[in-house]
Amino acid sequence: MRNLLVSSLMAAALVLAATTGRATAESPQPIRIGVNTAIQLQVGRDAIDAVKMAIDEINAKGGVLGRPLEMIVADEGEAASEGPKVGIAAVNKLTSEDHVDVLIGGYDSGVTLGELPHITRAKTIFLGIGSASPAIQQKVKDDYERNKYLFRVNPINSAKQADALLDFISGKLKSDLGYKKISILGENAKWVQDMVPAIKKGAEAAGLEVPVAEFFDVQTADFSPIFAKVKDSGSQYLIVIISHAASDVFVKQWYDAKVPVPIGGIDVKSMDANFFDRVGGKSIAEVSANFVLRAPLTPKTIPWWDKFVSLYNRAPVYTAPGAYDAVYIYSEAAQRAGSTNAEAVVAQLEKTDFIGTRGRVQFDPQHEVKDGPGFVNELFVQWQNNGERTVIWPKDVATGKMINPPWLAQN
Amino acid sequence: MLQILVYGAVISAIYAMLAVGFTLIFGVARILNLAHGSFYALGAYATYTFTQVLHLPLLFAAVLAVAGVAAFGIAVERVLVRPLRRSSLAVLLITLAVALMVEQVLLLSFGSEARNVPSVINATYHFAGVDISAQRIFALVAAVLVLIGLWVFMQQTRLGAAILAVSQDAEAAQYMGIPSDRIYSIVMGLSAGIAAAAGILVAPFQTVIPGMGLLPLVKAFAIVVVGGLGSIPGSIIGALLLGYSETIIAFKISIEWSQIVSVAAVLITLILRPAGFFGKRAAF
Amino acid sequence: MRGSSVDWLAAFLAAVALAAVPWLFANNYIVGVMTVALCFGIWAASWDFMSGLTGRENFGHSLFIGVGAYTAGFLNVNYGLSPWWSLVAAPGTAVLFSLIMGFPTLRLKGPYFALAMLSGAAVMQNLTIIFSVYTGGQDGLNGLDPILDSPLAYYYLTLLLMLAAVVILKLLANSSWGTILRAIRGDEASCQAAGINVTFYKIAALMISAAFAGLGGALYAHYQLQVGPDLFAIVLSINIIVMVYVGGLGSIYGPVGGAILLNVLTESLRAVSEYRLWVYTLILIFILFFMPQGLIAPLWRRVRGLLQ
Repeated sequence: MRNLLVSSLMAAALVLAATTGRATAESPQPIRIGVNTAIQLQVGRDAIDAVKMAIDEINAKGGVLGRPLEMIVADEGEAASEGPKVGIAAVNKLTSEDHVDVLIGGYDSGVTLGELPHITRAKTIFLGIGSASPAIQQKVKDDYERNKYLFRVNPINSAKQADALLDFISGKLKSDLGYKKISILGENAKWVQDMVPAIKKGAEAAGLEVPVAEFFDVQTADFSPIFAKVKDSGSQYLIVIISHAASDVFVKQWYDAKVPVPIGGIDVKSMDANFFDRVGGKSIAEVSANFVLRAPLTPKTIPWWDKFVSLYNRAPVYTAPGAYDAVYIYSEAAQRAGSTNAEAVVAQLEKTDFIGTRGRVQFDPQHEVKDGPGFVNELFVQWQNNGERTVIWPKDVATGKMINPPWLAQN
Repeated sequence: MLQILVYGAVISAIYAMLAVGFTLIFGVARILNLAHGSFYALGAYATYTFTQVLHLPLLFAAVLAVAGVAAFGIAVERVLVRPLRRSSLAVLLITLAVALMVEQVLLLSFGSEARNVPSVINATYHFAGVDISAQRIFALVAAVLVLIGLWVFMQQTRLGAAILAVSQDAEAAQYMGIPSDRIYSIVMGLSAGIAAAAGILVAPFQTVIPGMGLLPLVKAFAIVVVGGLGSIPGSIIGALLLGYSETIIAFKISIEWSQIVSVAAVLITLILRPAGFFGKRAAF
Repeated sequence: MRGSSVDWLAAFLAAVALAAVPWLFANNYIVGVMTVALCFGIWAASWDFMSGLTGRENFGHSLFIGVGAYTAGFLNVNYGLSPWWSLVAAPGTAVLFSLIMGFPTLRLKGPYFALAMLSGAAVMQNLTIIFSVYTGGQDGLNGLDPILDSPLAYYYLTLLLMLAAVVILKLLANSSWGTILRAIRGDEASCQAAGINVTFYKIAALMISAAFAGLGGALYAHYQLQVGPDLFAIVLSINIIVMVYVGGLGSIYGPVGGAILLNVLTESLRAVSEYRLWVYTLILIFILFFMPQGLIAPLWRRVRGLLQ
């Protein structure tokens, strides 16, 4: 009896030693990807799911440098009520406590700008996938040594978005449709406040009259006054720039009042695939700038889109493709660098040439994703009958004609 | 001109519904109910759930929603507020906690994206330069009916008289055999029900998001201060003032500046005439 | 009412414990969270001095915080001044605003004073967003310089200033000043009749409260390296009031404990991810319900009673 006990204990000890020995010898340190985003919002959830999707794919093929990827999420909180406080604590936690190798995230520009000094102090690479303020990447130009860790994978910064919008205005509205008067309405977020005067000037330089150019508070609940003003001014089109405000109500009120002025511009919520259904079809004929939809922008787009939908039962929002691509971009850069050392990876990231889900990704000297033909582009997409989305601008990628809302004569 | 008249009327009517409930609970029970916006939001979300998820007919869903939120209001008063009545600060903070809790529950249950509540009527009216949806006219008419109904209730019924008595002097009312505690609960339920009704009426043309109750709460505050805390006619006048000044500023100046009107109005009123238009002289 | 030696010993021990935090948890995350918590402690203690003692609840404390923070931002970012100046200028601007707001509103009773201060803060918040050219609008001003480069040194600076603030405010509260302020809470008319210049004391209390709030605002700004309109938000004012309540109204030191407790709590609730705020609110309701006198101050009084 005693012998049996002793030998079983010895056997157990041997097995234990063997397995722990194997564990320490064979399971390599994972590469940690920190995701700082607003987890209670759709943009946050989709970013997390997209990162997860990429991580699972890469791990299935053996990981990076023989190591698996691991995701750690930290909530940035609700910017409107908590400010950047929670986001700053989040990046400090991810860098100081969780020792992540790279950060992928960002949504609200104010929060991201607040987080930046803390990220660069920790000398951690940050791949932005949601904030659009040009001030973020401007820091790379202002102080390269300190801020070289900052990259933006998505979206195109707001200044470039403004250029694309101006191109739409002068190319489509003026040259194609012959409009003479347009109005501009933007929410009073900083990037819009910077954008609108520039667009107004550009439109006037292109020969258009801009009788109304106004801002509205993010919490505005009633747009009837502005619709009436725009209508009374004789405008033929209303350019809108909405990001955080709920454009659902804007669009619904526009439809319900059958405002005789078509709308379009930059409407972040309208980028969602289910926006049309969410507003009961009332966004018909609205044009909005978009970064990704279920269209063959690259060979990867449609397979990626379908896989996301099958895994998560919902269509992805604009932060998802960037987040997915960011994981691959980082992985490939680390692979080329042969290590996760931040300095080495930064050097490799600058040489990125990656066919992603939205286009070809390369970075300019300020670590901004490049835009233009062949790169990542802003498409102008219109909601048409039955919730179909048609690309109506730029001309070379247009898939259909632009329509007017059903209560106006068609072009 | 006509545009301002019509749009202003719709906005004012909804504001009046919100303000009246708010001032009622303050006038009667001396509670600054920070959860008032939550009742508004719950009315909208309840209707969404009943019509879009459970596919109940709209009218039935609306009535059910109002009743449900009123019951919730009564429960909040009895369970959370009544035990803390000694300290007005504690009552305030607990109503705040209720507001936060409701917002979080809505966020976790429905997500952050706006929900769609369909309109009752889907027509649009165009007259003399005014483009307005039938739903808004419906909201205006319904709001006016609710307010008239409330007035009739307060003036003509025994319960209404009891409420007025308690608001004037709770102790004396108690001596006269009116159970003040029960009146407080009833008033909370009434206030919640009216707020929920307001939420249901505007849901088709306003944003239905978990945080939708915050701004209406701020507006209700503003109106009630201008009109006089505790005065129903004051709230109605205040609502008209606020609704129209917002509309006029949005038209004549800019829609951006119209948001600052409510808070500026509160500040100016409190500095110049703290009791508001019809408030009792309890401001000093 | 006078502080006993046991009180001061306990305060000393608490200060030592706070000073030991960076040695126990040697990472920037915890130190950062505690730095923010100490700023909230300054704000909570300053609110308590005014509103806890006089009973005039100020729902617009964020006005002084925001004004202090933006002063720091303007001087540092727009005019390139050294961040040390903010520690002087921010309280100054906050005091100025307290005079502007205080004179017309302090004669108001109860909820009216609270609402007036609240709307003052809300007006400033709106103006900050509208005049974005000067203030950076919704995104605010960023690129502030830290007063001290090392997060560790910054923590100690904040701790030092917080302790100084609490000591000053507590001494004032324990002195005849405090007695008068409490008397004003009880019956203002009698105080007036007794020949006390009630207006002077109320305005002075508000000014002192504002000065420390502004100081905290500057410290916060130079830690976050960013200021935004969220610093004027009603939510901030209310969060501070909650912290004071949890700490114990009128005790000055209690609110500091409440601030630290609630800040640490919100961070540690990251573990429940998207349920963070839900759990936080639940805990809040629990505290409000079962501890009407607060948590920190009554706890200390109980302990002190056992010791003596």
